Amino acid sequence: MATFDADGLTLERIREFVWEIPRQGEMGVPARVLASEALLEQIAEDKTLEQLRNATQLPGITNYAVCMPDGHQGYGFPVGGVGAMDAEEGCLSPGAVGYDINCGVRMVTTNLTYADVRGREEELVDALFEAIPSGLGGGGVVETDVGTVEEILARGVDWALEHGYAVASDLRHCEDEGMRAGADPSMVTQRAKERGATQIGSLGSGNHFLEVQRVTDVFDETVGAAYGLSADQIVILIHTGSRGLGHQTCTDYLRKIEREHGSLLARLPDKELAAAPAGSRLADEYYGAMNAAINFAWVNRQLLTHRTREVFADVFGRSWETLEMDLLYDVAHNIAKRETHTVDGEQRDLYVHRKGATRAFPAGHPEVPRAYREVGQPVIIPGSMGAGSYVLCGGAASMDLTFGSTAHGAGRLMSRTQAKRDYWGEDVRDDLREGQAIYVKAQSGATVAEEAPGVYKDVDEVVRVSDALGIGHRVARTFPVCNIKG
Amino acid sequence: MGFELRAHTADVAVFATGETLEDVFASLADGLAAASCDAFPAEGERFPLAVSAESREALLFDFLDELLFQRDVRLEFPIDVQVSITIPEGRGDGVDGSASEDGVDGGSSEDGVDGGSSEDGVDGGADEDAWTLEGSARGVPLDSVDAREVKAVTYSEMRLEERASGWEAYVVFDV
Repeated sequence: MATFDADGLTLERIREFVWEIPRQGEMGVPARVLASEALLEQIAEDKTLEQLRNATQLPGITNYAVCMPDGHQGYGFPVGGVGAMDAEEGCLSPGAVGYDINCGVRMVTTNLTYADVRGREEELVDALFEAIPSGLGGGGVVETDVGTVEEILARGVDWALEHGYAVASDLRHCEDEGMRAGADPSMVTQRAKERGATQIGSLGSGNHFLEVQRVTDVFDETVGAAYGLSADQIVILIHTGSRGLGHQTCTDYLRKIEREHGSLLARLPDKELAAAPAGSRLADEYYGAMNAAINFAWVNRQLLTHRTREVFADVFGRSWETLEMDLLYDVAHNIAKRETHTVDGEQRDLYVHRKGATRAFPAGHPEVPRAYREVGQPVIIPGSMGAGSYVLCGGAASMDLTFGSTAHGAGRLMSRTQAKRDYWGEDVRDDLREGQAIYVKAQSGATVAEEAPGVYKDVDEVVRVSDALGIGHRVARTFPVCNIKG
Repeated sequence: MGFELRAHTADVAVFATGETLEDVFASLADGLAAASCDAFPAEGERFPLAVSAESREALLFDFLDELLFQRDVRLEFPIDVQVSITIPEGRGDGVDGSASEDGVDGGSSEDGVDGGSSEDGVDGGADEDAWTLEGSARGVPLDSVDAREVKAVTYSEMRLEERASGWEAYVVFDV
């Protein structure tokens, strides 16, 4: 059997692109990495594999902990990690969801083509930068009080619909119609609500962005048509999450778990894996709070969608309805969800934790929105600001291999500190404009350096692995035109 | 005595040193500021800070979380942080970093997975929030700096240890 040696760890090749660290020592189950050899070599360079092995010690983890092809070191649970814990006898782990609850990506389509935008990129990027709150302390589309935050936590995008920030089709093209069941605003602390109140409809900074893109390739005409995608079309990609409200919610529950479930925590190899036993009061409370934060993130992305529609209407002199600016889909990258999966021929209720991974349910799955049920759930995989992004559709193999999941991006390769030594923000911006006609505008030059295309892995390779494994099939590829960030 | 930003694939790590526990807390706050912005103007009023927790490491975690919370609700970046820490009686001589065990494990139950023991798994009682911190920071208005957003403090790989030369700490922040 072919093996891969990584700093004291040996991975066995199960089949093409599937590698396994067999169960040993304290591991509860084996760990799997889905990657080509080139990607595995990059994954093995930091602490991703150690963190993945640690994740197998979470109570009730089922089959294996899985690392997606874009996986990299995070805190506690690796980014790109998927772990399914038994919903009766396992656990729910805020650490395995991450701080930015429902950080995710949505794509909005238009009926514009690249020719319509060519020559007007500067005007468009300036108008978007002006209209979209970004950076630290940049405010939000809505700045409000804790009472309104609580409504948003309870109702999600339904709140946005009532207040004129959404249309009915936006709800139909979002997981759970933009309102997560079981959201309990009373389980979100006052601290978290206060942090969120001035940030509703804001990008933040770091790797978050809003990008205007052009469709360069449609690989699957049938699914592409079902998604409303065609070559040369202009689309918009929005990447942000639940802002300070989500960060505080994760923080608060890590500390509650530390205080209440110390003996469980003491048995885990990393304190950041903090988990509440399934069925415990804290597990239920965190699930209610996390679901509420998920709603908050959906509303956050919805308000940015609303602003983007207004900007396009202004710049192109037609209503956004005339520009057919429809939400294609909205995917979450950092969540846990109670789902039913078949394990060894049995139906099991599991808390599926996806941290830096995207749900990728295939055609026919009852939880895929009706609009896409015949072709499978759209999966949106952003690349760097100098590389392509992809739209995939969920593949049938995901149900067996990854609890219905695939990758979430290109995956970082280089640290932010190294990036700032290697790149200068203004140079990156000028090179993108002159070399590739990509117009970038950011609050901070350092953010541009930290997010330079060279700090990311090869998104084409990540998607090639996903496609070959059948967990997410390639539908279309897009390329950046304008990019704004914090 | 001071801090260094250390490489981390996706996030930012701060390694800090200080002659005293207070110094190392203040150095970490300096590191958090440096991870967010290259330079701060000399403006901003000071505001008070107060944090309490059940262990030394938890106090550090809650202190850094409080800085991020104040940043977001005051819309000011806290810099030039000064702190004074009150150590619970009998806990001031830990040279081995044993604070990480304080208040975490009541030792009452090995089966914290069954949910039933959740209320009992803490030593709660006397040591709850026995570590306290009081201090202040200068709040630089966010609209006068181009700062990046640090999302949260993490426990991942956190170290807070007393050495012969003073205190050392390592903290990973989610960016």
